Amino acid sequence: MHEGVAAYVLGVLDEEELEEFERHLDTCARCQAELQDMAEIPSRLDELKHLPSAAEDDPPMSMSR
Amino acid sequence: MCPVLGHLAGKLESTDAEAEHRIAVLYQEFGGPLLRHVRKSTGNDLQWAEDVVQETIVRAWRHSARLQWEPSLIWAWLLTVARRIVIDGRRRKSVRPHEVEPPEVDMLAVPDGSERALSAMVVADALRSLSEEHREVIEQTYLRDRTINEAAEILGIPPGTVKSRLYYGIRALRVLLRDKGVAG
Repeated sequence: MHEGVAAYVLGVLDEEELEEFERHLDTCARCQAELQDMAEIPSRLDELKHLPSAAEDDPPMSMSR
Repeated sequence: MCPVLGHLAGKLESTDAEAEHRIAVLYQEFGGPLLRHVRKSTGNDLQWAEDVVQETIVRAWRHSARLQWEPSLIWAWLLTVARRIVIDGRRRKSVRPHEVEPPEVDMLAVPDGSERALSAMVVADALRSLSEEHREVIEQTYLRDRTINEAAEILGIPPGTVKSRLYYGIRALRVLLRDKGVAG
């Protein structure tokens, strides 16, 4: 259950899993601490959307398979 | 009193004055920063950003026990709730995720463009430093607006594996970005 914190922070859990994780979060100090640690990561990843080369020039960064 | 707060205060009239006070404090403390943060992910769409902040505050009110968390945890939770609301809104608004559109070169020409591009390159470098497995799940979920289950199907691996790799990948990314001084 603890590993769901990253998916929760990134907003990529299904609705059902999201609710389940939030109930877990209410009682899990470890996930609360990791939520704080990871909360700014999505904003950093959003910066990639302003960098054309990141999406286009580098095969591993795009749909390579 | 702002419209959101007035609306909430009305709802709370017959319930708990202490809860009402907590909401007021919450809005005063986080409303402004949250709006500035959300605007970045709504493409500077102010109306949409205000709606997202309002919905976030309403959700916080519904889970008032969480308002007793320490402020930095409340902030992290509010950011996460707001982000999810933006993502859900984007999914409703468009069949195609926005980031699949070709990036505008002009985006780099705005006043803070060079700084932003520099920061983006740091993030791109960090992402490249990850293992292939970790980078892949970050790309196939968040960067392409897909859920864990959708990405699992595309990658042909179990959802639990995607979730686990995402966890270790994000932890590794956080360490890399912290070392480079762009994430706290």
